Amino acid sequence: MTHRSNRFTGLLLASALAVISTSAAAQPQGDAQAGKIKAYTCLGCHGIPSYVMVYPTFHVPRLGGQHEQYIIDALKAYRDGKRSFPTMEAQARSLSEQDMADIAAYFSGLDSKN
Amino acid sequence: MKSIFKILAAATVLAAFQANAADPQAGKKIAENVCGACHGVDGKSENFPAYPMLAGQYPDYIVHALKGYQSGARQNPIMGGIVGNLSEQDMRNVAAWYASREPGVEDTPDE
Repeated sequence: MTHRSNRFTGLLLASALAVISTSAAAQPQGDAQAGKIKAYTCLGCHGIPSYVMVYPTFHVPRLGGQHEQYIIDALKAYRDGKRSFPTMEAQARSLSEQDMADIAAYFSGLDSKN
Repeated sequence: MKSIFKILAAATVLAAFQANAADPQAGKKIAENVCGACHGVDGKSENFPAYPMLAGQYPDYIVHALKGYQSGARQNPIMGGIVGNLSEQDMRNVAAWYASREPGVEDTPDE
């Protein structure tokens, strides 16, 4: 019985480790320099102060200094259909997770306080 | 007679404008009671990298995002639950509050 429960504990530990290593691998490290180049398209809308979207009419959000993790989450939500906005869905679907991490690193570093 | 109509028209326009005007102080109360726990009352959310900084964000974008959570255009379990209690006027008020804070987010520089 003890033997069996030991084996069970071992299995649990192994699967926990597998989950941890998978989630660590799932998020690539962002490179702001690479992100600067990849963000070229983004800046067509997000780089222009007071740029306004039409139908519906609102300002394109400011991204300078925004949290890196939030930018990645938002891009994934557009990619996965959890946020609907045609332009952003199309953009997000063209990006790899490495691209998202790089772009997020770039925008989060654009902060006049840095 | 014509001038009465002019005054009436002006009063109507003024009333409509005031009904739509955002009140940042009313918004501050919403920030304190609802949004602040995650986003910070001043919109900085410094300890929560998954929650966006709202300080200095465009107010009409904040309203757009909130309406999206309400309509289902944006699906997020936390925000979906929270916006259910907000009227459109509440959204405008709280957006005006966060937009008026010392910026956490900024326009990207022209390079």
